[in-house]
Amino acid sequence: MQSLVATEITKSFREGSRSVDVLRGVSLSVAAGEVVGVEGPSGSGKTTLLSILGCILTATSGSVVVDGQEVDRDRPAALPAIRRRSIGFVFQQFNLFPSLTALENVEYALNIKGTKGRAARAEAEEALELVGLTDRKHFHPRDLSGGQKQRVAIARALAANPAVLLADEPTANLDTETGKQILDLFRQLARGRGCALLIVTHDPKVRAITDRVVTMCDGRISEGTLQ
Amino acid sequence: MVDLASKMLVHEKLRFAITIAGVAFAVSLVLIQVGLFVGLLDNASVTIDHTDADLWITSRSTPNVDFGHAFPERRLNRVRAIPGVERADNLIVAFMTIALPTGAEESTLVYAMSDFRWGLPRDVTEGELQDLRRGSFLMLDESAARRFGSFDLGEKRELFGRRLQIIGRTKDAKSFTTTPISFIDYATAQSLSPALKENTTYILVKVAPGADIETVRADIRTRLPHNDVYTKAEWSARSRNYWLENTGIGFSMYLTVFLGCLVGVVVVAQTLYASTMEHLREFGTVKAIGGSNWDIYKIITKQAGLSAVLGFVLGAVPSVAAGPLIAKTGLHLALSPEFVVVVFVSTLALCMLAAMVSFRKIASIDPSLVFRT
Repeated sequence: MQSLVATEITKSFREGSRSVDVLRGVSLSVAAGEVVGVEGPSGSGKTTLLSILGCILTATSGSVVVDGQEVDRDRPAALPAIRRRSIGFVFQQFNLFPSLTALENVEYALNIKGTKGRAARAEAEEALELVGLTDRKHFHPRDLSGGQKQRVAIARALAANPAVLLADEPTANLDTETGKQILDLFRQLARGRGCALLIVTHDPKVRAITDRVVTMCDGRISEGTLQ
Repeated sequence: MVDLASKMLVHEKLRFAITIAGVAFAVSLVLIQVGLFVGLLDNASVTIDHTDADLWITSRSTPNVDFGHAFPERRLNRVRAIPGVERADNLIVAFMTIALPTGAEESTLVYAMSDFRWGLPRDVTEGELQDLRRGSFLMLDESAARRFGSFDLGEKRELFGRRLQIIGRTKDAKSFTTTPISFIDYATAQSLSPALKENTTYILVKVAPGADIETVRADIRTRLPHNDVYTKAEWSARSRNYWLENTGIGFSMYLTVFLGCLVGVVVVAQTLYASTMEHLREFGTVKAIGGSNWDIYKIITKQAGLSAVLGFVLGAVPSVAAGPLIAKTGLHLALSPEFVVVVFVSTLALCMLAAMVSFRKIASIDPSLVFRT
């Protein structure tokens, strides 16, 4: 079953009076439990693709189907609901809330996604246990290492069991050993939960955990499986 | 529910402290300035408000109770003859010069009646009012001690060059200008000033039970066409409004209140906006994990509300507590519970308004900024 399907998507931005084509007809699908890597040089359109697949931006043309629901690009107001229900993000900069503890970071995401009260607290504790951070759950991000922060970010992304997990350079700010541990965790969780995982990266180590890798160049997929 | 709004505020203690201090400063500025002003205005009408008269007859266009103009005292007889008038008396209110033991001369506002049976003065702390009739005597309000120096019963003071003996002490008889008030006998007052000979400045009227005040007032107006007739409430309001409308004091007070509000709004708006700008990535993250603009508006609004409540408490408590200290300077801080509630609601509303400055920025947050390094 395909959790994420993008068909012939294009994206253009206006820069002054001229139009810049960032994506020029990208098709891609990721099945449940599958791990796909997206590589490519800076400016190739990886992050824009990630934004569109994550329902943060809408495509100029083409279609995106997330967890069986087609994204209506004429209704941007409907995008937050899709993000809440079906998508989890892991960022290069972690993007944790500095004023919240690890547990609260995960719990807050659950609150936003509609789970409140004790249920949210219990689910957040479970998510942190899954990433091996039970003993650090009351720590603020400033008191956590880079690897621990990324584990909290993964726990947050997996909160409420999204069908699709999108990761942007998740190992870029981590040392080699920690990066390897994080990637192992990604693979284990994606497979275990049947989550479609798309990782945008420059890190060659990511290849070790992917089922396939696509390479982007000038807004197009130039190599890899165009399944 | 994780309270991100409060935790963000507390996480940045210095910024939070500055915001609260700004609100507290604005609140105390408004409470103290308006409280002092209302206290002064209360003084402007305190003798009217506590006098047991239903109607005040004044000379034409008298601006306020302190500035009474003389008119023939015999008009009192016409008033007493009007049906529905239970009783009526002449009252003289006039500024007179008083010589102090130091040789200095000051002004005192004299209230003079033949029979002080109108609840005037409100509170006699020493002496007997009836004794004023016996001749050259006066009673002084205790607030006079600040201007005239301390005084004791039995001492003498000169009014317009005539020695009067102090035979009593009153309390809470005040004027807007803080000129100390003296009480003397009606005939004594007339004998002190040629302008008051056979003249009075007011006639106080008590309407008989069951009589219609407006009917009585209409009859008085018919019989005294050269006088004005006010109800107690109208005359009180006219005396207060005189100071508001005819001096710069009212404008100054409004300006202070405006500036206080402006300071509060600017401080809260500026700090919330700066905080919003610094937390753009966090708000972008809220959006990325599925939050809407409304989720972020709620965060900002709650932060503004918390700043308002804490700032109000920190501003209001010292302001109210300062009341007794201010009273020692002879001023009265008049803070009614209703006014304090109005200031609280206004503080809350203005802080919410300040929060809206950030709303526009939030609406334009591009959630894809979370991917930027």
